[in-house]
Amino acid sequence: MNSRNVKITGDKLYYSQALLLIISYRLLLALTYTPALVTTPTNQDVWIMLLLSIPYAILISLPILYLGNKFNQYDFFEYTEMIAGKIIGKILAVLYSFAFLSFFIFFSSVFIEILNTALYNQTPTIVNTVILLATCSYVVSKGIMNLARLGEIVIPFIIIVFLLLAVLGIGDYDFTVFLPILKESTFKDLNIGAIDISFRYIDVLVLAMLIPYLEDKKDVNKIFIKSLVCSTIFSILAVVVIQATLGIEYSKRINFSYYTYTRLIKIGETQGFDLLYVASWIMGNIIKLSGYFYFATTAMANVTKKRNQFFIIPVAVISVAVIVFLKDYRPVIAARDPFKSIFRIISIIFIIIIPLIILIIYFFRRKTLNKTGGAKRK
Amino acid sequence: MILRRKKVVIISYILIIAVLTGCFNAKELDELGISLAMGIDHEDGKILITAEVVDPAFSSEASNTGEGSSVRYVQGIGNTILEALKDITLKFDRGIYSAHNKVLIFGEEIAKQGLVSHMDELIRDREQRESSYMLIAKGAKAYEVMGINSGIETIPANYILGLIKNVESNPKTVDFSIMDYLKHYYHEGHHPVAGVIEKIQKNEINETGEKSGTKGYELTVIGSALFKKDKLIGYLNGNDTKALNYLLDNVKGGIITFPATSVLEEVQSQESEQILNSVNVIKVKTKNDVELEGDKVILKSKVYVRAALGELLENTDISKEGNLKRIEDDCSKTVELNIKAAVQKVQKEFGIDIFGFGIVFHRKYPKQWKKIKDYWDEIFADAEYQIEVNTHIIRTGLINRPLEK
Repeated sequence: MNSRNVKITGDKLYYSQALLLIISYRLLLALTYTPALVTTPTNQDVWIMLLLSIPYAILISLPILYLGNKFNQYDFFEYTEMIAGKIIGKILAVLYSFAFLSFFIFFSSVFIEILNTALYNQTPTIVNTVILLATCSYVVSKGIMNLARLGEIVIPFIIIVFLLLAVLGIGDYDFTVFLPILKESTFKDLNIGAIDISFRYIDVLVLAMLIPYLEDKKDVNKIFIKSLVCSTIFSILAVVVIQATLGIEYSKRINFSYYTYTRLIKIGETQGFDLLYVASWIMGNIIKLSGYFYFATTAMANVTKKRNQFFIIPVAVISVAVIVFLKDYRPVIAARDPFKSIFRIISIIFIIIIPLIILIIYFFRRKTLNKTGGAKRK
Repeated sequence: MILRRKKVVIISYILIIAVLTGCFNAKELDELGISLAMGIDHEDGKILITAEVVDPAFSSEASNTGEGSSVRYVQGIGNTILEALKDITLKFDRGIYSAHNKVLIFGEEIAKQGLVSHMDELIRDREQRESSYMLIAKGAKAYEVMGINSGIETIPANYILGLIKNVESNPKTVDFSIMDYLKHYYHEGHHPVAGVIEKIQKNEINETGEKSGTKGYELTVIGSALFKKDKLIGYLNGNDTKALNYLLDNVKGGIITFPATSVLEEVQSQESEQILNSVNVIKVKTKNDVELEGDKVILKSKVYVRAALGELLENTDISKEGNLKRIEDDCSKTVELNIKAAVQKVQKEFGIDIFGFGIVFHRKYPKQWKKIKDYWDEIFADAEYQIEVNTHIIRTGLINRPLEK
C-alpha cells in the first residue's frame, strides 16, 4: 500500500493535505478578486495568458524548489542559515517573517474589505478584524498539522461549491465573448501578463515552508506541479465563468467579480446562491490567512529560538492595528496602487532574488556543505 | 475534567453564536420598507425616485374585500439617485430596502439624457440586484405607470413582472435586466435595448359582460426601447421587437401567423387574403453572419424555426407531405419578410446596430474591425441584408384535416 494513503501518525503532513493547502492559496485568490481579469491582456485571451503562466510559475519557483529538494529535512530558514551563515540566515528569517506578515496583512485587508463592502457594511472594521484575527490566532496556536487537517475538510467543500456554482450559472454563459481568439493580444502581451500573474501566486513559499513537515519528502515536485496545474485550471474556470456571464468589459470594472457572478445566479425565481460562495470563501480564507500568520510567527521563532506560539498574540495585536489603519485609510482592492506594486516587489524579492542568491552561494559552498553533513539532518 | 471541558466548549459556542448573529447589520422586518419596484425620473432638473413599498399590514381579508392597497408609494427628490433615496427617509418612517426590487422603471426623459451614469449607485450598492428587470416608461414619467394594476396579482410590481415574463409566450417584448443592458452597452458593435412599459386605456366591462362606458387603465409591455450608447433614441413596435428577439436568439415561444399563399394564387380575391394559418413556436435558433465583399458589407441571418401547427384556416389536407411543406414555406416567408422589414426599418430610421452584427464582424474580421469600429453604425445602416428562414412543423395537433367540409 502506498504510504501516503496510510494516515496513522499525527505529526506528519500527508501528500493530499499539502496538495489541498497549496491549491487553496491560488484558488482563493481567483475567488476573491480574480487579479487575472485586470492583468494584461485584460481581454478575451486572459485564459490563454493563465495557461502560459504555468511554465513561468515553474521557472520562477525553480530556485526555491531546488533548494527545498536538496535540504528537504530543514525548513527554509534552517537551510539558508546553513548555506549563507548564521548572521545572514537570521537576517533572512527576519525578512521572510516580514514578507509573510505583509501577505497576511494584505490578504486580511482584502478579506475585511469584501466583508465591509458586500456583507457587513455597517459593522466597524475593527470588529471584523478582531474576529478574524482571534480565529486565525486560535488556528495558528494549534499548529500546522491541525491547519492541514482543517483544510482537508474545508478545501474539498470550497472546490465542490466552486464547481457547483459554475454549473448553476451555465444558463447565463455567452461563450461568444471569447471570440476572436488571439487576435487582439500580441504574444508579448500574453507573456507579460503571464509573468505578472506568476508573481501574484506566492504559494511556492508556502510549499517551501511545508517541506520539512511532509511525510514523504519526494512528493515535493509532484505536489508543486499538481497544485500548479489544478489551481491554474480552477483560475481559468473562474475567469471563464465571470467573463462569459458579465462580459469582458464589465468584468474589468468590478472589484469582487466572482461574488458578483454568484449574485447573478438564478434558477427560476430562486436567487441567493452567493450565500454558498460566501460561506466557503470565509472558511477558505481563514485557512489561507492562518497559513501566512503561522509562517510569519515560525520565522520569528527561528530568529529568537522561541516557540512560535509566543509571537501569536503580539503579532495579532500589531496586525489588527495595521489592518484597521489600512482599511480605514484606503480601499485595498479598488485603489489597486500602491498595494499592487508593493506586492509585486515583495514577491520578486522573496520568490526569485533571495532564493537565487542563496542558490548561487550554495553552488559555491557545495563541497564544504557536503563535507559537513549538508543536506542531511544529523 | 472532560465534563468541565465540554461545558467550556458549549458556553464558548453559545457566546460565539451570540456574537456572530451580525447585530451591527441587523435589519428587523418591522423596520424595513421593502421595495418591489422603483421608478427613476428627471423632474425640474432633479432626480425623482418613486418606490413601491409593500404594506405588511395589508391582510388577505382586505385583499378579498378589495379595500386598501397592498403597497404604498413613496417619493424622494435629490440631485443624484443616492440623494433622492435619502430624501425618502425624511418623509417615510422606514428605510427603503431595495434588495427585493424586481423592476426598475426609468422615465422617458431621463432615458433620453442617458442612463449609465444614473446606474452607478444601483450597481455600486450591494443591496440592489443586477438581475432586476429594466423598463422605460414610454411617453411618460415612471411614476405615472406605477400603481396601475389590472391583473390578478395584488401587488402592482408582481403584475408588471408577470407581463415581462410573458415574453416566453409572446416575443413582442424584451425581458432584459440591468445586467443585460450593461453587457450590451459595453459591447462594441451592439447598442443596448430595454423593455418598454406603457399606460393604455381599456374599456371597463361590468359583470354582465357589457361595456360600462367608463374607461380604466392597464399596462402593456409591448415593444422595446432603443438606445444609442446609453441615450434613448426611439422605440420599436411589437412586431419589430419580435423580429429583434429572433435575431438576438431570444425567442422562447410565441406564435407565427402567416397567409396561405396557395389560396392566394388560386383565388386571387380580397377575401382569400384573410385566410391565415398559425403555428406555435417550439424553438428558434438564429445564426447571424457578416460577409465582406470588397468594400461591401453584407449582413446575413439564418433562422431555424421548429413549430407545432396551431391554427389552419385554409382547407388543405396536411396528411400530404407536399401540403405540409408548403405551409412551412409560407411560414418561413412571413418570418423572413417581417425580420427583413424590421432590420431595414432600424437601418433607415435609427441607423444603429441593435442586432449585434457588429460583434459578428469583430469576431470574423478582427483586423478590419479596428479600422471601422468607430463608423460601424454608418456601415450597418448602408449594408445589404439577406435572410434565410427554415421552418419545420413537427406537430400537427389532434386533427389532420381542417374542420371545414
